[in-house]
Amino acid sequence: MKPMRCGLIGAMAVAACVLSSGRHSAWAAEPPAKVALTGARVIPVVGPELDGATILIERGKITAVGTDVKVPFDAMEVDCRGKVIMPGLIEPQSWRGLDIANESLPVAPFLDVGDAMDPSRLYFEDALRDGITSIHVMQGNNTVIAGMSRVVRPIGLTPDEMTVDLGTAIKLSVSPRNGYDRMQQMATFRETFRELEEYTDSIAEAKYEESLEKEKKKVDVGPAEAAKRGRPMLKDSDYDDKHLNLLRLKRGDFDTWVYVGSPMDVSPAIALATEQGFLDHTILLIGDDTFKAIGELKKAGRPVVLPEDLFYRERDPISGEITETFIPKKIHDAGLMFALQPNPNSSMAERYLTYQAALCVRNGIPRQTALEAITLNPATMLGMGDRLGSIEAGKVANLVIYNGDPLDFNSWVENVYIDGILAYDRKDDPRLAEILRLEDVGRKVDEAKKAAEEAAKKKDEEKAAPKEGDAAPKPAEGDNAKPAEGGSEKPAESGRARPRRGDGQ
Amino acid sequence: MMCLSSFVSSRRWLVAAAVLAASATGVLAQKDAANSVTAYRVGKVITMDDRDDVINNAVLLVKDGKVQQVGKASQVTIPEGAEIIEMPQCWLVPGFVELHCHEAGASTDLHDYVYLTNPDLRTLESVNPGTENFKSARAGGVTTALLISGSGTNMSGLGTAVKFADGLVEDLVIKFPASIKIAQAGNPERYWFRVGRSFMNYNLRQTLQEAKDYHDAMTAYESGKIKEKPVFSATYDAFRDLFRQNFMASVHTQQYQVVMMTLQLVHNQFGIRTVLDHSTFDGYKTAPLVIEGQDVITINGPRQLYFDGTQRKIFGNAARWWQAGIPKLGINTDSPVIPQEELTYQAAMACYYGWGTYEAIRGLTRIGAEALALEDRVGSLKPGMDADFAIWSGDPIDPRSVCWMTVIDGKIVRDVREEMRRF
Repeated sequence: MKPMRCGLIGAMAVAACVLSSGRHSAWAAEPPAKVALTGARVIPVVGPELDGATILIERGKITAVGTDVKVPFDAMEVDCRGKVIMPGLIEPQSWRGLDIANESLPVAPFLDVGDAMDPSRLYFEDALRDGITSIHVMQGNNTVIAGMSRVVRPIGLTPDEMTVDLGTAIKLSVSPRNGYDRMQQMATFRETFRELEEYTDSIAEAKYEESLEKEKKKVDVGPAEAAKRGRPMLKDSDYDDKHLNLLRLKRGDFDTWVYVGSPMDVSPAIALATEQGFLDHTILLIGDDTFKAIGELKKAGRPVVLPEDLFYRERDPISGEITETFIPKKIHDAGLMFALQPNPNSSMAERYLTYQAALCVRNGIPRQTALEAITLNPATMLGMGDRLGSIEAGKVANLVIYNGDPLDFNSWVENVYIDGILAYDRKDDPRLAEILRLEDVGRKVDEAKKAAEEAAKKKDEEKAAPKEGDAAPKPAEGDNAKPAEGGSEKPAESGRARPRRGDGQ
Repeated sequence: MMCLSSFVSSRRWLVAAAVLAASATGVLAQKDAANSVTAYRVGKVITMDDRDDVINNAVLLVKDGKVQQVGKASQVTIPEGAEIIEMPQCWLVPGFVELHCHEAGASTDLHDYVYLTNPDLRTLESVNPGTENFKSARAGGVTTALLISGSGTNMSGLGTAVKFADGLVEDLVIKFPASIKIAQAGNPERYWFRVGRSFMNYNLRQTLQEAKDYHDAMTAYESGKIKEKPVFSATYDAFRDLFRQNFMASVHTQQYQVVMMTLQLVHNQFGIRTVLDHSTFDGYKTAPLVIEGQDVITINGPRQLYFDGTQRKIFGNAARWWQAGIPKLGINTDSPVIPQEELTYQAAMACYYGWGTYEAIRGLTRIGAEALALEDRVGSLKPGMDADFAIWSGDPIDPRSVCWMTVIDGKIVRDVREEMRRF
């Protein structure tokens, strides 16, 4: 099997074989028929962890997991002894594959993130390198009603090729968008849903009149009655894009992800969802201190996506005392299902989902719950719990192979399988190799600098020892200073040249 | 030509005459009689025909504004009484075709921020033949151009193919509509309060869908499938030829996402003949998709190099596209962004960064003509083609070469001796 390289670096090289094979593109390659990953410690997330287990993959699906699975004679065996395998991580929502977080239109449910996704973003490459196999691409929180989201895998040349699930959810924000206030935000919701009714009435009335015309009858009732009679006749195709998606939202054709950025937003959000009938299809995205409305959150009982920063710190204005709250603990103690997000703005370890999970364990959340929060829980929230999020027979073969425990920060991702395709191989990651090589250069420069300093020190000592003649040491000192100077410049240079690992745009 | 002496100082004129004397020994005079034959005797003719013939020591005969014959001097009989222009050291090259220029209208017409899509607008209504831009084109051996509107909106109107000759607008226009200008991103963002790609692509798709629906309905009516005639649309009637593949979409593109989306939306979804204009930065990484698109043409420039920040390397855009296996590649100036005269400099830069010289000449001639679907008129030199060509002191892609003379429809429209700007 030819290993797939991450990102577009490899895409050009792969292009040649794409052409010769006549396939749509490199990433749409058929997964190999049968692969057996043997000898690894398996964290299935559902059920106990298994040592020395075998995972059998057939045509992109997991068909067997266990310690007593026999490897079929025609399966390609990959020796995974000493490795740890866990289900592919899931990013519950992110706009980072898009050009901008939000359009300036407040109500835009007719939009599709596929139109704004850029497969060449380094973000996708980074996600793959960190073991994320599914990303829920969704517009940002600066909106009233945003466009349709998609679930994608971080491989592919076009958005359609990346897409796993189309029209997954729509985001509403109860917190006001920039420059507006809360009451206006809620007024926009009222107006939007009321206008939907008016629009529906107007097309229903027309529909009823049309039906009379067909039978060559005259309009026999007033507009209100005509609209009432016309409503049952309406089909989805009678609506325009905007109103159809509002209707589908209310009907629960897809889930609604509601951003509640502050505790005061929770109550109106739940009132809105209840009134419009989509509470059962609601996922709540909470902000820094939204956990303070824990009573309301608990009462609603809906799954929660946690903010990127898991600690909330507050300073008492009088005493100056700082209180720190670990948000996942509050949510977990309330018995709510939650999902973790990586923190892309952090240059620290928070940008790894596994670190976020490890933080939870360190702060009193059971390991099992922490693992679910980066795999099975987001899968369930996306309505894909039957396909993604755990290692079980029948599920999609999205697997991450680590060289150690995933929650140990010394571990790294060795390989990633997506739909049974070897999508990432650390040994064949040109960008990572570049970074590591540069670090190697940096280390060598440091060593050279150290050696030069030591040599200078030695010479100084030698000079100090004879203590003869006053004029002689000066030029020698100047000579010695040179390598040290050169050495001190170089690491800075290589540091500057090191590629950034955020979005390379 | 003698009348020029009153304008030109005698010293400068002598310099020009001396330079010319080295290459041109025959009589150079404006051809008047339409029926007469003019014979161009030159050192080399790049025909750009189907066999890629290059003829050394050649004669090209022009009659009635068309190429009558082209061949080796020893094999072509020059009819008696024909005017002979002898430039035996020079190269005769087909007139260049510029596919992306904004020489229609005034600078204020460049971006028409009326709506985010403006299918109604036509550059035909702002062709301005008297400008310096037209002269500049002739000085650079550019004879045909597609005049398009700006990239400030997702769709900015219908483009017009013209010859850079002197004359009435109706005589200059050789094809209208010759393109529809589309910009999916990379400028329309500035429209109003800022627009993102999710809305811009939705918006463009809606507009093209409306046009397509109109075309489909009209076609159904014409073939008798529906009885009721659809309401005539002044806006979309011109688009019917777009869906019949009679003209193409010039799409302002640059980086990966935009080129990719153009292929997905314009080419694949609507089956429109697509020309990728500019296609700079990391746009070349879409090459596998472009190759799949088969008839897609890429017209690179005017930005000829790209610094890849992640690989920390400078790439030549044209060279990258070419190395990736793109079958049809051309070059544009975006004039007046880059003066029209400097089209060959853009090609020279593309070659400096790794493209091939002969391919560059093809990119400036045949490829442009094919994109306009005018390859039976311009872009190559064989009997029956328009007599559009330029006579260069040498390889036109070499920046040291001079364009001595430009001929459009058999008429000398630019003669270096009468050009006062540089000599």
